[in-house]
Amino acid sequence: MGSGKFTALNGIDLTFGKGEFTGIIGPSGSGKTTLLNIIGTLDVPSEGSALILGQSVANLTPASSAALRKSKLGFIFQSYNLFQVHTVFENVEFPLLLQGIETAKRRQMVLDALEWVGLTDKIKSRPAQLSGGESQRVAIARAMVKRPAVVLADEPTANLDAANSHNILQTMEKLNRELQTTFLFATHDEKVISYVRRKIFLFDGKVARDEIIDKN
Amino acid sequence: MIRFLFKGLIRDRNRSLIPFIVTATGVMLTVVFHAWMTGVIGNSIEFNARFASGHVKIMTRAYSEYAGQSPNDLAILGTDTLTDLISSEIPEMEFAERIYFGGLIDVPDSRGETRAQGPALGIGIDMLSGGNTEAERMNIPSSLKSGGLPRNSNEALLSSEFADKLGIIPGDEFTLVGSSMYGELTMHNFILSGTVEFGTTALDRGTIIADINDVREALNMFDATGEILGFFRTGTYNDEEATLIVNRFNEKYSSPDDEFSLLMKRLAQQNNMGFLVEYSGKLKGILVSVFIVAMSLILWNAGLLGGLRRYGEFGMRLAIGEEKGHVYKTMLMESLIIGFFGSLAGVALGMVIALYLQNHGIDLGIMMKNASVMMPQVFRARITPETWYIGFVPGFLSTQLGTLLAGIGIYRRQTAQLFKELEA
Repeated sequence: MGSGKFTALNGIDLTFGKGEFTGIIGPSGSGKTTLLNIIGTLDVPSEGSALILGQSVANLTPASSAALRKSKLGFIFQSYNLFQVHTVFENVEFPLLLQGIETAKRRQMVLDALEWVGLTDKIKSRPAQLSGGESQRVAIARAMVKRPAVVLADEPTANLDAANSHNILQTMEKLNRELQTTFLFATHDEKVISYVRRKIFLFDGKVARDEIIDKN
Repeated sequence: MIRFLFKGLIRDRNRSLIPFIVTATGVMLTVVFHAWMTGVIGNSIEFNARFASGHVKIMTRAYSEYAGQSPNDLAILGTDTLTDLISSEIPEMEFAERIYFGGLIDVPDSRGETRAQGPALGIGIDMLSGGNTEAERMNIPSSLKSGGLPRNSNEALLSSEFADKLGIIPGDEFTLVGSSMYGELTMHNFILSGTVEFGTTALDRGTIIADINDVREALNMFDATGEILGFFRTGTYNDEEATLIVNRFNEKYSSPDDEFSLLMKRLAQQNNMGFLVEYSGKLKGILVSVFIVAMSLILWNAGLLGGLRRYGEFGMRLAIGEEKGHVYKTMLMESLIIGFFGSLAGVALGMVIALYLQNHGIDLGIMMKNASVMMPQVFRARITPETWYIGFVPGFLSTQLGTLLAGIGIYRRQTAQLFKELEA
């Protein structure tokens, strides 16, 4: 029987700038997902502080953290987590419904997002009718449709083959460059690592190495 | 947003169809059960009222103490004017005089010697004054096995089994040997007009039914009657109203010091009928409580399972920026829709079945064959105004309660915890 307490992150001091394309890299249990959850205001640090877009995570009320996620943060997961009973269009539309954007504008934004990921021909399809790669592209469109400041992607290529992995990584890289959206990946996938421009290696909850790659 | 949720509800059978079926089935069962129990209890109460107790019964105080023995020496006198007086004082009821008596039926042979004999329990009711109110009240016309109703004075009916035992058929003569209200031995000849079979041992064993005036003549009970039975004109027993009438009547006519003063008793005070009347009154409460508890547990369980299945969806919705309160509210909204339409469908379905059972009934005559208590053969459901809402309200509420309970479990989880479970 354990004490129930576990230190997932320890002594982390990191700053992420606008438009970064960063990989948080490490083995399972290294604290990647916890770090992503804190940045995504889904969790709060037990000690220390985390500032997201100028706001302290610890001081956020449930309503204000939801508001922050609604407008500024996007999430992508390894298992896509699409709404199975809704169409591709409806899945991508959902974040805009939460923001109360009017119908015509909402429709245009959804079509734009689906065009970024090359899925305009699948708007009426259901997730069950899509391949893994297509599903993840829908997830990217859903994360990007509200033009968030930060996209948090937790093992986004874990369920994809090499071709699809490169495809979605290229899509995200393109969006990162065109929209200046910050992308933070939690990963140990070499394919993802090969795309990122900053690599933060985590080991046992601590930053082992922080490298900036010059790709120009 | 509402359209989005509604689409999800319609498309996801686990979210809509299964809770809908569970709710509709529960409501349907409640509606049918309520109508059936109301009918069965009502049938039993009314059956006893028609044959024995009336909705209220007037006797002398002394007679009431030994009512089980039908002591006609303690009968009510002066009934010529009394019944009319009571009828005018209590217009919401109609009153009927009855004489219950015991005696011996003697069947003579061609020489006038006794051919067969048997003990009989008799009922004297009004059968010849025009209209067959009492005969119909006792369901005699449809219980006729042979012959017909008495049309003339000194005609009588015997229970079919009894007539067979005595070896007589309609048209034959027999003698009632009894005792008058003054204790004298009496003998009176009757002609058998017909035989009856009620399907209840208590009534079919050895019954003689004759016109009350013939019985008066036979038992030397002129201007007297053993009992005066009162029946609500609405046709159904109302215990509260009966209590008021009884109190009013007894205050005026009854005196503890005079054993021949009149005493009115309501149905619930006779033949251990109080339990049935009380149970009938509590039925609604029992049904609703059992239903709400059972359905809430089922729907809570269904809601929890549905909620577990939807962790991914809830987690994602929270991540996208929906507030927990909003997620919870939408769950309740969904259950509101399911509860409303499921309960509506359950009521409709239950009503169709209840209506069928009300019109056709179920013949339990075989089960009642050897019953010593007076029970009808055919039991019917009865739809009352309560039947319309007794299933709907708890059906609707328990879906809400089930979701409330299930939702709390999800609501109280940390968002990050939902995510861990979502990603698991």
